[in-house]
Amino acid sequence: MYDSEESVVKSIEVEVRSESGLHARPAAAFVRAAAKFASAIRLENVTTGRPSADAKSIVGVMTAGVEHGHLVRVIADGPDEDRAVEMLRGILARIDRTAGK
Amino acid sequence: MPGRLTGIPAAPGIARGPVWRYRPRGAAGVPVVAVSSRGEAELRIRRAAAAAAAQLQALAQRLCDLDHPGDAEILEAQALMAIDPAIVEEAVRLARSGLDPVEAVLASAETSAEALASLDDALLAARAADVRDVAVRVVRALSGAHLELPMVPSVAVADDIPPSLLAEMPPGLLLGVALAGGSPTAHVAILARSLGLPAVVAVEALLDAVHGASEIAIDGETGAIFVDPDSAELQALADRQAIRGDRDRAATALRGTPAATADGQRVVLLANIRSADDATRALEAGADGVGLFRTEYLFMRRQSAPTEADQTSEYRRAMEAFGPGRPVVIRMADIGGDKPIPYLGRPEEPNPFLGVRAIRLGHESRELLLTQLRAIWRAAGLAGVTPYVMAPMVATIADARLLIELRDEAREAVVASGAECPDRMVTGVMIEVPSAAILAPELARLVDFFSIGTNDLTQYVLAADRGNPSLAGLQDALHPAVLRTIATVVAGADAAGIPVAACGELAGDPAGALVLVGLGVDELSAEPRLLDGIRAALADVTGGQVRELAARALAATDAETVRAYAREILDAKG
Repeated sequence: MYDSEESVVKSIEVEVRSESGLHARPAAAFVRAAAKFASAIRLENVTTGRPSADAKSIVGVMTAGVEHGHLVRVIADGPDEDRAVEMLRGILARIDRTAGK
Repeated sequence: MPGRLTGIPAAPGIARGPVWRYRPRGAAGVPVVAVSSRGEAELRIRRAAAAAAAQLQALAQRLCDLDHPGDAEILEAQALMAIDPAIVEEAVRLARSGLDPVEAVLASAETSAEALASLDDALLAARAADVRDVAVRVVRALSGAHLELPMVPSVAVADDIPPSLLAEMPPGLLLGVALAGGSPTAHVAILARSLGLPAVVAVEALLDAVHGASEIAIDGETGAIFVDPDSAELQALADRQAIRGDRDRAATALRGTPAATADGQRVVLLANIRSADDATRALEAGADGVGLFRTEYLFMRRQSAPTEADQTSEYRRAMEAFGPGRPVVIRMADIGGDKPIPYLGRPEEPNPFLGVRAIRLGHESRELLLTQLRAIWRAAGLAGVTPYVMAPMVATIADARLLIELRDEAREAVVASGAECPDRMVTGVMIEVPSAAILAPELARLVDFFSIGTNDLTQYVLAADRGNPSLAGLQDALHPAVLRTIATVVAGADAAGIPVAACGELAGDPAGALVLVGLGVDELSAEPRLLDGIRAALADVTGGQVRELAARALAATDAETVRAYAREILDAKG
């Protein structure tokens, strides 16, 4: 069972290399994935230093204004936080890998 | 004659019924929702948000099924907006504090819309309008006033109708659609065709004419509109409907016989498909093969490109369905234009139809194209057939050379892997860019066949965006400027002795099919359900008649005249 006493917030940082950043379409894929987890998940645009947004909110993720080259932080807190950050890292990495060469 | 108007035919069939005048309205006018408690308000907001998201998701699926994945993605994003926790929770908070649920949803969405609108990024700022649209939909679900619906089965008359409204309308309640605006290529027209609803668009003076009228009849094949029709007009329409019924039955009876003119000139009739599963429908429709396998659908709505193995298996299934005697022409993924692929990570282009599209990706995404070509070689090796491939958006000789180079490089890799591989790939280019038509004589010496994409050729020859309803009048592939371009292409192909196919919507329209065959096009490729109509139209005319039709069409200066010439022949045969 998940024990909140031992829980530490899980956080990763990823550089977004996708040419279009987290625009509408990639943002939708990201939000859809985030919504599958029970954990509270936030997305923070480290580069711009804007306040973090709810990763399950498409408006929030779009408003984070993530552009090509920005560094973002994904912070998850909850029973499936490890899987959540891994999955979201995967999605961000996939967008990265297939970015125009 | 008073009460008679003409528009552009957009979906075939005759409809007659009461006028249902549709006027778009925003959130204004939505009744206030009476709730007995604040807890109930919260529950209803959550339910309405979920209902709106489900509707949008269903519409997205429908658009995707209808070939519009780009627009489907926008609706999918909107579905996420409907259940966006930031918007829903704020609406719930406002409702708990005593605000009417409708006001709460609108106010909450407006906060989000303004946050988006204030961004520096024009593309994201434009999403603010999407949020406001979604809010209106949630409010509709909330108030139970889903849609203004006609009271009895009716013909919708409007300036324009949102495609979502057509998609949501209960079956049977709409008999047809007449629009003052719109275009035959607009989504609402495409949806009407798929729903079997007759439609006429771009009808000038329509809204004034229906003012105070009670009944309207529309003919989706000729574009004729009769407001408050008299008995003679109704009789003429009924007669025409009966003749078309006979014609359709006769057409079905011809299925399974080779397509040819009355005097025996053979025309190869091929099918447009977008997955191996469609190959079955194409076979049932009596197709001689596949003239256009739109492979870009394999690349859409996913997180990454399909693997070589996935593609191989898909192409192999289509090839095996038709066997060695019948071609399956695989069109390399037509990515770009109205079909962006997010995982390529390409920057948004201000003018994607004139941007890095299809074969133009060959430089920056060479591996993407090579993978597809290797899969085609492998599939043909496994299926034991000769592969056919064509590249879209070819504009220059260099583009055709690039295709050939990639094709040969892909074969070397497959052979080196030890896999079964055919000796040759029949290689063609699509002619849809005016420069390719102008260069046809030189291109014809490089490749094995041409396939004319009439939709894009029309848009590029007339410089009229396919998606822009204000330019509906310019989106007619029967325009003599387009036909003269096609004649140039045929001449270039003939000089080099290679065949010419046509695979746009013009090929699937009986009038267009006759003109194309008259111009010397050897093969027609269309949606499987249209093949009966083309076969029947051809069986009723002689080679001499279609050549004469083509000659008259080339001498014309507008599309309406060409259409009238074609109708003379089609109607004479009844």
